[in-house]
Amino acid sequence: MAFDPKFIRNFSIIAHIDHGKSTLADQLLLQSGAITNREFREQLLDDMDLERERGITIKARAVAINYVLDGQTYELNLIDTPGHVDFHYEVSRSLAACEGAILLVDATQGVQAQTVANAFLAVGGDLAIVPVLNKIDMQASRPEEVKEEILTSLGIDPSEVLAVSAKTGLGVPDVFRAIIERVPAPAGDPKAPLRALIFDSKFDDYQGVVTYVRVVDGVLRRGQKIRLMAGETEYEVTGLGRFRPREVPCDELGVGQVGYVVANIKKLSDVNIGDTITQVPGPAQVALPGYQEPVPVVFCGLFPATHNQFDDLRTALQKLSLNDSSFSFEPETSDALGFGFRCGFLGMLHMEIVQQRLERESNLSLVQTAPNVTYEILTVKGETLHISNPTRIPDPGLIEEFREPIARVNFIVPTDGIGAIMQLCEDRRGIYLKTEYLSTTRAILTYELPLAEMIYDLYDKLKSATRGYGTMDYEVIGYRAGDLCRLDILVAGQKVDALSTVVHRAHADRRGRKLVKKLRGEIERHQFEVAIQAAIGSRVIARETISALRKNVTAKCYGGDISRKRKLLEKQKEGKKRMKQVGNVEISQEAFLSVLDDSED
Amino acid sequence: MTEAISAASTAEPAWQWPRAAYVHVPFCAHKCGYCDFASVAGFDHLADRYLAALDREMADHLGHPREVDTIFVGGGTPTRLAARQLSELTRILGRWLIPAPGAEWTVEANPGTLDDEKAEILAAAGVDRISLGAQSFRPESLKVLEREHGRPEVEKAVAIVRDRFPRWSLDLIFGVPGSSSADWERDLEIALEFGPSHLSCYGLVYEKGTRLWQGRERGEVLPLDEEVERAMYEHTIDRLARAGLSMYEISNFAVPGHESRHNLVYWANEAYFGFGVGAARYERGVRTVNTRDLNAYLRRIESGQPATGPTEELDAEARARETAVLMLRRIAIGLDRGDFRLRTGFDIDDLAGAAIGRYRDLGYLIDDGPRLRLGREGIFLADGILADFL
Ligand SMILES: Nc1nc2c(ncn2[C@@H]2O[C@H](COP(=O)(O)OP(=O)(O)O)[C@@H](O)[C@H]2O)c(=O)[nH]1
Ligand code: SF4
Repeated sequence: MAFDPKFIRNFSIIAHIDHGKSTLADQLLLQSGAITNREFREQLLDDMDLERERGITIKARAVAINYVLDGQTYELNLIDTPGHVDFHYEVSRSLAACEGAILLVDATQGVQAQTVANAFLAVGGDLAIVPVLNKIDMQASRPEEVKEEILTSLGIDPSEVLAVSAKTGLGVPDVFRAIIERVPAPAGDPKAPLRALIFDSKFDDYQGVVTYVRVVDGVLRRGQKIRLMAGETEYEVTGLGRFRPREVPCDELGVGQVGYVVANIKKLSDVNIGDTITQVPGPAQVALPGYQEPVPVVFCGLFPATHNQFDDLRTALQKLSLNDSSFSFEPETSDALGFGFRCGFLGMLHMEIVQQRLERESNLSLVQTAPNVTYEILTVKGETLHISNPTRIPDPGLIEEFREPIARVNFIVPTDGIGAIMQLCEDRRGIYLKTEYLSTTRAILTYELPLAEMIYDLYDKLKSATRGYGTMDYEVIGYRAGDLCRLDILVAGQKVDALSTVVHRAHADRRGRKLVKKLRGEIERHQFEVAIQAAIGSRVIARETISALRKNVTAKCYGGDISRKRKLLEKQKEGKKRMKQVGNVEISQEAFLSVLDDSED
Repeated sequence: MTEAISAASTAEPAWQWPRAAYVHVPFCAHKCGYCDFASVAGFDHLADRYLAALDREMADHLGHPREVDTIFVGGGTPTRLAARQLSELTRILGRWLIPAPGAEWTVEANPGTLDDEKAEILAAAGVDRISLGAQSFRPESLKVLEREHGRPEVEKAVAIVRDRFPRWSLDLIFGVPGSSSADWERDLEIALEFGPSHLSCYGLVYEKGTRLWQGRERGEVLPLDEEVERAMYEHTIDRLARAGLSMYEISNFAVPGHESRHNLVYWANEAYFGFGVGAARYERGVRTVNTRDLNAYLRRIESGQPATGPTEELDAEARARETAVLMLRRIAIGLDRGDFRLRTGFDIDDLAGAAIGRYRDLGYLIDDGPRLRLGREGIFLADGILADFL
């Protein structure tokens, strides 16, 4: 018997990082009796240690909680959302499975960039919002001010705002009540053909693909034949259940219910997030509104550091994509780096996470090229090209217009940090849009910035300019023409394709000088002199030389020295093996990485 | 080139059975600033015990006397031993090592520690080669190196050695901080005036842990510019060639026939015995090194234990590669392809064909068909080149 949808509530918690989302989620489990006090200590919803280290939940998850209010048992489905800038789309796909959202704001920190961004997503999705202040047990909390901020930034009436301590549990019963009273029950037709929304999926070594679904109409049963409407593929449901928070199998999921489905699906790419599951025979005619596939916005080349590891890298990337279908990769050949892949990511953080996972899980040592964005180029012949690899950018003479992606960026900063952020944005070709004051001490600053100017280190710069208090959020809004050019690096007269970058012409000289200087420090001396040049087209704009090695010979090698000297030479040789050969010049992995490092020194 | 050092091969793999023996005597008057040898100052009171331990180690290890072609007594400063102890040392060696007819027996000596009496003892015992550590004649350089002798002591030592031993050598160091090319050239001229038939000229090495190294780490000692060091080295090679001393190894120069046969054993990667604190041996493909700690050495030998520390045994290919690296240090004879194949079972072109081709094209290697040798420029850049043979 399916549960009466009247008593079901589906909701998410949306919050800025560290505002207490995981803690509140655990507290809800604790107070509903789903977990013990001891288990409360662990953050059950974050199970990927990499994310835990960074305090980010990337993969949405759903937990079913039973809660009794005024003698009535309710089924509350908490659908977890990620909390970082790069994962907007994952937030929206989780929200699509909900009727409401808890907007959690740290009462000591106040409204932050992702608070605003996520709240807008929820409002845009027609969700009921339950605003909650967290950490009111803390001395430093300032609930009244933060309520003001919520009013100013989101137009939410302070009287609606609850106050809790997720840590101690204070005020949490009110949260349950508010969810039940303010979030609408799911509406759906139990008699209609099955329609269930796939809002997430993960790969499990034993079960294959596990999809997370929310039933909208009809009933989903174990053993049932189902069809994925977008892919038009059919499967049989072999496993069905809910997380409470541990997996609990069940026989069916009715209207409004949330759970997981196992159906012999082999590859993650066979499932489109946002797709609708229906039944066969008698399928639904109209699919539920889906989401847009996320598009990678940041790209870089990834190459194995040692030769012959291309296949290993491919295997590792494939394995990783089983659990993260949001990054793309395609084979790429570089003169300097050999065979590798051009990979696309949702953002810088996403890129870092994927790389760390690759290195950690596959034991591969990687050479990464400088991250870049996708450029749109209008050629003199009138074609429009989208290029996400700087080496493919045509020569200047063939380009009519060189366009780059622009992001609209919101910074929430203490007012005394406004000057620094403005400077930061001016230096990066930002266009100022507006400043809104949240309170006398904090403001939202909005800029349009070329995405390329953001991807190196804007986030770190923001943090240091605001002593850690500033936050940001961005959204790519389109392409715009810019005075851009490709900057090439030549080592010993040979262009090193993997070191090409796109720069704004006004910054080209400075960037070129910096790059060649950096490389001079990173490339070891050779048996001959090595010239390093930066060039735009055929015009050299900067040059450094590495003098030749003049004497490199072990003076003493007698009986007692042989082993030690051999080992020293072996080490030298090992080092060389990990180097990339460009003509006669060996370039270390560090040299390629140093190009990424944008710091001034 | 003499018979003795031509790269002759024997039926018995030469890396298996030692025909050479190294014996270490660690005692020194004081510790030089650049020294990372197993040497100690102020422990002369342990010399008698040490000799007894040497005797015991040789007895335990060898079991019965062995015939050898070369003996090398190095240090430390062997001649730091008192005359009585020196003659005891020769007796011990005589007990366990039988010099084959025409064998070479070298003893290292430092100026200021050698007198007529000691020289007589050595000569009478059959020592036919003395290697004298002069290092420099320039007072400032000697001070930087923390050597406690000067030119007069070297003169005296040479006078003692010259008429008693058929062959003798001087050790010199170039590249000493604060010295100029002219200073080094002067040192070399002085050395040549003494008329040695063999010279070892080492570019100064800052060995980790030495006082000189610490000084450099702290910025108190300023290493010479690489260009100056190279000029000194180049001058050495050219000047000694004119004087009739040809470069037969990276740091060694000799009148033909006066090469150190013992050291050539190392550069052919052949087997050798080793006795004494810190001594290395290479027998049947296994290399072991004794502890460098004098007290530990004594304790272990006295209690009937071997004094060995790390052991290394390479597989056939690694051994072949190591052999190539060592052979190529021999500037004049280099690596003979046929000889190499016979000794190692490997074809050098299979092991390192690409490197050979590349370096031959660059002129760093000279390939005359049967043999490979370092070319002139290759000598200065030898480490980078040899690493590619590993
Ligand atoms: N004092 C106090 N600390 C809290 C409270 N809620 C969360 N925290 C702490 O704030 C930090 C971030 O919480 P977490 O739940 O991981 O945040 P998330 O990134 O939003 O999931 C952790 O150190 C929590 O222990 C609270 O109500 N009071
Ligand atoms: S004389 Fe030789 S062994 Fe003795 S301390 Fe000096 S350098 Fe070292």
